[in-house]
Amino acid sequence: MKELLKNLSLAFGPSGCEDAVRELVYEEIKDYIDKDSATVDALGNLIVHMGGDGPKMMICAHMDEVGFMVTGIGENGSLKFGTVGGIDPISLGAKRVISESGVRGAISAKPIHLLTKEEREAGPKIKNMTIDIGADTREEAEELTFIGDYFTFDSGYEEYGNGYIKCKALDDRLGCAIMCQLIKDIKNGAIDLKYDTYFAFTTREEIGYSGAFSASARINPDYAIVIESKAVADIYGVEGSKKVSVLGDGVIISYADRGTIYDRTLISHIKRIADENEIKNQVNLYISGGNDSANIQKNACGARVSTLSCASRYIHSQSDVIHETDFFAAYEVVKKVLNENPPTKE
Amino acid sequence: MEKIKEILNILISATSPSGYECLGADALENLVGDTFDKIYTDNLGTVVLLKKSKKENAKKLLVDAHFDTVGLMVTRVYEGGFLGVCSLGGLDTSVLPSGEVTVYGNEEIYGIITSTPPHLKTGDSSAPKLKELYIDTGLTKEEAEKKIPVGSVATFRNKVEYINGDYVISAGLDDKSCLCALLYAAQALDPEKMEFDLYITASAQEETGKCGPSRAAYDIAPDLAIVTDVNFAKTGKDEDFEAIECKKGASIDISSVCTRKTVKSIMKHLTSEKIPYQVVCEPRATSTNADALSISTLGFPTVLMSIPLKAMHTPSEIVNLKDIKSLADIVSSIATCKDIID
Repeated sequence: MKELLKNLSLAFGPSGCEDAVRELVYEEIKDYIDKDSATVDALGNLIVHMGGDGPKMMICAHMDEVGFMVTGIGENGSLKFGTVGGIDPISLGAKRVISESGVRGAISAKPIHLLTKEEREAGPKIKNMTIDIGADTREEAEELTFIGDYFTFDSGYEEYGNGYIKCKALDDRLGCAIMCQLIKDIKNGAIDLKYDTYFAFTTREEIGYSGAFSASARINPDYAIVIESKAVADIYGVEGSKKVSVLGDGVIISYADRGTIYDRTLISHIKRIADENEIKNQVNLYISGGNDSANIQKNACGARVSTLSCASRYIHSQSDVIHETDFFAAYEVVKKVLNENPPTKE
Repeated sequence: MEKIKEILNILISATSPSGYECLGADALENLVGDTFDKIYTDNLGTVVLLKKSKKENAKKLLVDAHFDTVGLMVTRVYEGGFLGVCSLGGLDTSVLPSGEVTVYGNEEIYGIITSTPPHLKTGDSSAPKLKELYIDTGLTKEEAEKKIPVGSVATFRNKVEYINGDYVISAGLDDKSCLCALLYAAQALDPEKMEFDLYITASAQEETGKCGPSRAAYDIAPDLAIVTDVNFAKTGKDEDFEAIECKKGASIDISSVCTRKTVKSIMKHLTSEKIPYQVVCEPRATSTNADALSISTLGFPTVLMSIPLKAMHTPSEIVNLKDIKSLADIVSSIATCKDIID
């Protein structure tokens, strides 16, 4: 499953350009699904209907990652860009990037030696950065790229320390990897579905959870579980609740974030299943972030939603970091939930 | 260019943060093979490579390129295996967050430099300070203490990419691109034609105090010294119209610390030989080894030459291979010319 996580994370897929990820997902699951159970909608969402008796359940993870879009090309061949999704400028300095067609470059800014004191103190600003692809003129650059071209971080997969995993785009390929595995488990008979189950691999989460809009309208689920990664500050020097959650302490069963107040019935049900099966879980100690569940909850007929997240350090940078314990815990919990009767309403 | 790439790749992969050049010295010595008549490392860590001329009583030409690179040094080990660090050389802290490093402890350890998530930051995205950044090793404090003694050094985990033909992106091109040019030139030089004994100093500790070649000069007592280092290349912004440009060749510095007569003589020679070069002016000090070398020992003529480089002191420095070749051509031409100095 880690191999799958690696391959999915290395695939190219900034918001609005998820084709490569979707193809990889489809290749991975095609032997485990009925041919007409998969739908790709107009927004690029891949929806897989696995059947099962019971209320409708939508399991959801987004395929897109944060990235960059070329917005202008200078006379000197440098590329102006805007960010696709929220990227903190402090994680951009001198980072390597790659375009959809495989053109490599680095994010470039004025060297520190040449900055004024004010500029140094103000910190890095995206408007002062360009992408350098080794082109000396606009013409040269136009042979390699175009206005509107996408770039993403060009950063590899690593496992380090005691069970930590680093790659670009772990947000949210970890959710895609877990969903692929669950689909295989269902086909292999490892799960006795207690829900009429749909898997939604969504697009454009990073620019406002938009893919999940049409996906949830199409499925119109009673319940939804979003599998995500969550920005946390589990680093030295940050105390207590400001850490949000701790890597390795288990899957986060969120009760609320900036986008959603989660369904009490569903999260209590999931928490009970996790505890009964001795699957490590934790809550978020700080309200921040948001994800597809905000739109699934409010769209169509509405759904009882929950999000199961892996705590992530340095999220939306070239080095998303998660802990394998949390990754496998998220997988185990969803697997058990699908295998158990739906919650009775409180 | 393939030969240049080959030399450059080996030099770049040799780990050599300031003060710890010894980590990469073996790679350097293996690389040069039997090109040189004598190789030694002095007490400071500068590797001196001598290629002798067949001429009797040849004068001595010292050509310097520093071997050290900017880096980090571990100062504390904290809970959760986070390492506190200080910098070796003038590191741009704004390029550090979320970057990857290798820590050279009792073994090589992978690490990521922390960055604070936006929701916990005070004010807007001000420049991160080194004391607020840590290396995340994913180890426990106890494991980290055992594996990583305080004082261990760390460098950027590097990836060398060749882009758009002749451009290379990598950490450490400051100043390995110049050293590459010198080794490339030395390998091709014919001792029968050399007017000078060529001393190449792959010098230590430029980034932390420019001390390498001026110490080595006491052993060598050169008749002429050429310092080679990188200089800021034009990136197209209005304010850098004075800067040199990539792909237009190496530059010769006109500076108050360089010996004016020798600079003119070299320019005249290159012009007559039709070897192209750029000119860059540094009215005061040059912030290179030339500053220190020009006043070391009893003094000798010193000049400075540069390769244009973009994104200095970052893990993504950019240089064009043509400029490396250009510097090699210039140095070769000087080493085989008898009229440069009296």
